[in-house]
Amino acid sequence: MGGACSRKSDQRDNEEILHRGVSRKYCKSGSSKWLATSFSRPAIDIQLGRGNCPPLMDLCIRKICEDIDRYNTFSKIPRDISQQIFNELVYSQRLTDVSLKAFRDCAIQDLYLGEYPGVNDSWMDVISSQGPSLLSVDLSGSEVTDTGLLHLKDCTNLLALNFDYCDQISDRGLELISGLSNLTSLSFRRNNAITAKGMSAFANLVNLVKLDLERCPEIHGGLINLKGLSKLESLNLKCCNCITNDDMKPLSGLTNLKALQISCSKVTDVGITFLKGLHKLSLLNLEGCPVTAACFDSLSALAALLYLNLNRCNLTDDGCENFSRFRNLKVLNLGFNEITDACLVHLKGLTNLESLNLDSCRIGDERLVNLTGLRHLKCLELSDTEVGSSGLRHLSGLANLESLNLSFTAVDDGGLRKLSGLSSLKSLNLDVRQISDVGLAALTSLTGLTHLDLFGARITDVGTNHLRNFKNLRSLEICGGGLTDTGVKNIKNLSYLRLLNLSQNSNLTDKTLELISGLTELVSLNVSNSRITSAGLRHLKTLKNMKSLTLEGCKVTASDIKRLQSTDLPNLAFWMPQLK
Amino acid sequence: MKKEDMVKLISAEGFEFVIDKDAAMVSQTIYNMLTSPGSFAETQHGEVTFPEISTTILEKICKYFYWHLQFASGKETEFPIEPELTLELMMAANYLHT
Repeated sequence: MGGACSRKSDQRDNEEILHRGVSRKYCKSGSSKWLATSFSRPAIDIQLGRGNCPPLMDLCIRKICEDIDRYNTFSKIPRDISQQIFNELVYSQRLTDVSLKAFRDCAIQDLYLGEYPGVNDSWMDVISSQGPSLLSVDLSGSEVTDTGLLHLKDCTNLLALNFDYCDQISDRGLELISGLSNLTSLSFRRNNAITAKGMSAFANLVNLVKLDLERCPEIHGGLINLKGLSKLESLNLKCCNCITNDDMKPLSGLTNLKALQISCSKVTDVGITFLKGLHKLSLLNLEGCPVTAACFDSLSALAALLYLNLNRCNLTDDGCENFSRFRNLKVLNLGFNEITDACLVHLKGLTNLESLNLDSCRIGDERLVNLTGLRHLKCLELSDTEVGSSGLRHLSGLANLESLNLSFTAVDDGGLRKLSGLSSLKSLNLDVRQISDVGLAALTSLTGLTHLDLFGARITDVGTNHLRNFKNLRSLEICGGGLTDTGVKNIKNLSYLRLLNLSQNSNLTDKTLELISGLTELVSLNVSNSRITSAGLRHLKTLKNMKSLTLEGCKVTASDIKRLQSTDLPNLAFWMPQLK
Repeated sequence: MKKEDMVKLISAEGFEFVIDKDAAMVSQTIYNMLTSPGSFAETQHGEVTFPEISTTILEKICKYFYWHLQFASGKETEFPIEPELTLELMMAANYLHT
């Protein structure tokens, strides 16, 4: 800490790629998806203790944030320190339009206010007062309008701007920032007002490396303005269903492109031919595009391609022999296509594959033999395929496999011992009705498992004895109906559990809640459709990290949970049943 | 206590704080001064002058050093900071890499 430089933009970018969503600390969305991906700073790590002695610098910064009303200006202190105070205020959600004023003219470099409550045009004056020092601003999810963007005109050194989910910004706003030619990164996700007309502003941003226009439905015809942006490396046009083959043409000369995402667009094989010259392209996302195997001719020219997403493209076996041309691929997603067993032989030579998704394809047991040589495979999706127990023998040598999804397959207890040697496995999805206690017994050697999904499996109290081998479990789902409180005794010592789903086990009582009251890492708990009553809620008071609690179909009302939240579980943000 | 185990920290006003070397070296800056071979006069004399740090603040810093040692040995108490000192203390902490 201390004098360390505060330039962290690059780090942040990488992080966003690695753990998408994690940086969205103040997600407004009502979706519960974030529970799985983004665990915002838990209350405990702010407290002192936990072994590490806090530096005096940290203590002072926290103290300043606590007494923020005492300070009128930080403009006299070094900018790296005011940056740290600013960050801590945002982190602790203490920054308001009033306390913001103390940061006028502080020459701060990074203002990350993504999803921060209350940000609007009135904040822009102080934001822009950082002047030429300002390098990056994240205002995603704010109320900022075109008028607010006017302020940024003089922040000529800006490198990165993020206006995701700012639905009050339009073409006029783009025009106002068109002079910021040092920009390397620009993001306008989910904007309905940006059109081809406004996008002419992009033509001036000749230093752009990364442009994100995900879910902008009116941008058709505007990509022509990107033609001269020769430094562009990453272009995200996911879910812009207005994008057609014509929009691909201007991209053909962007030879520095490394990542292109055009999923759910109208681009066909004809459009893909324009990408042939993109020799540096390593990531191509064509999910849900109406392409056929005919586009593989164009794609096989892309020697740098490592990641190819062809999920939901209606591909058939026609032309699938061309898969063998993608020898360098590390990640291949073929899920939800009409392809069958006949394709698998053409995947045999893709020995660099680390991830293969065949979800819902018509794949059976025999030809899985073609996967035995894919020794680098870490992740394999076979959900909703016709794979059964006899196919699993072909997987038993995939020693690097970390994640295997066999949900809704024909696999049964007899086949599971074939998996017992996969000692790298961390995540196993066996949401399969015909799996029972016997099958679970065959897996006890997989002690590295962190995620185990037995949602529909017929696990009873007897089977739960085997769970004691999985001491590292972070998430567990057993919802087959066969558990009673007795079985939960074998779950209560899985002390790393963050997600536990025991719903549909209709015999579970309040005793279950008492048993799990020591699982203090729990972030999400579901015991719906059981005999839990409001009297049992008191056992949950110890679970301070809990963010989501689902007790549908129990004798528990929304106001019972609300009361628990207000007295004991301040982090609880989502619960069912909800208040009517 | 041997003299070489102690170090003298001198404030802007000339106040001298004689404290354990172990405590002083909680500060990365002081640690560097006292351990880098030959380059600092401080290394030889076990004396460091801080013309920018007032007596009040230096005293508080010394208290922090000892608090830090206690904390590290398992006694996890809170370190009190007076609101009127916070800003100046923070600047000193920044300088001292503490």
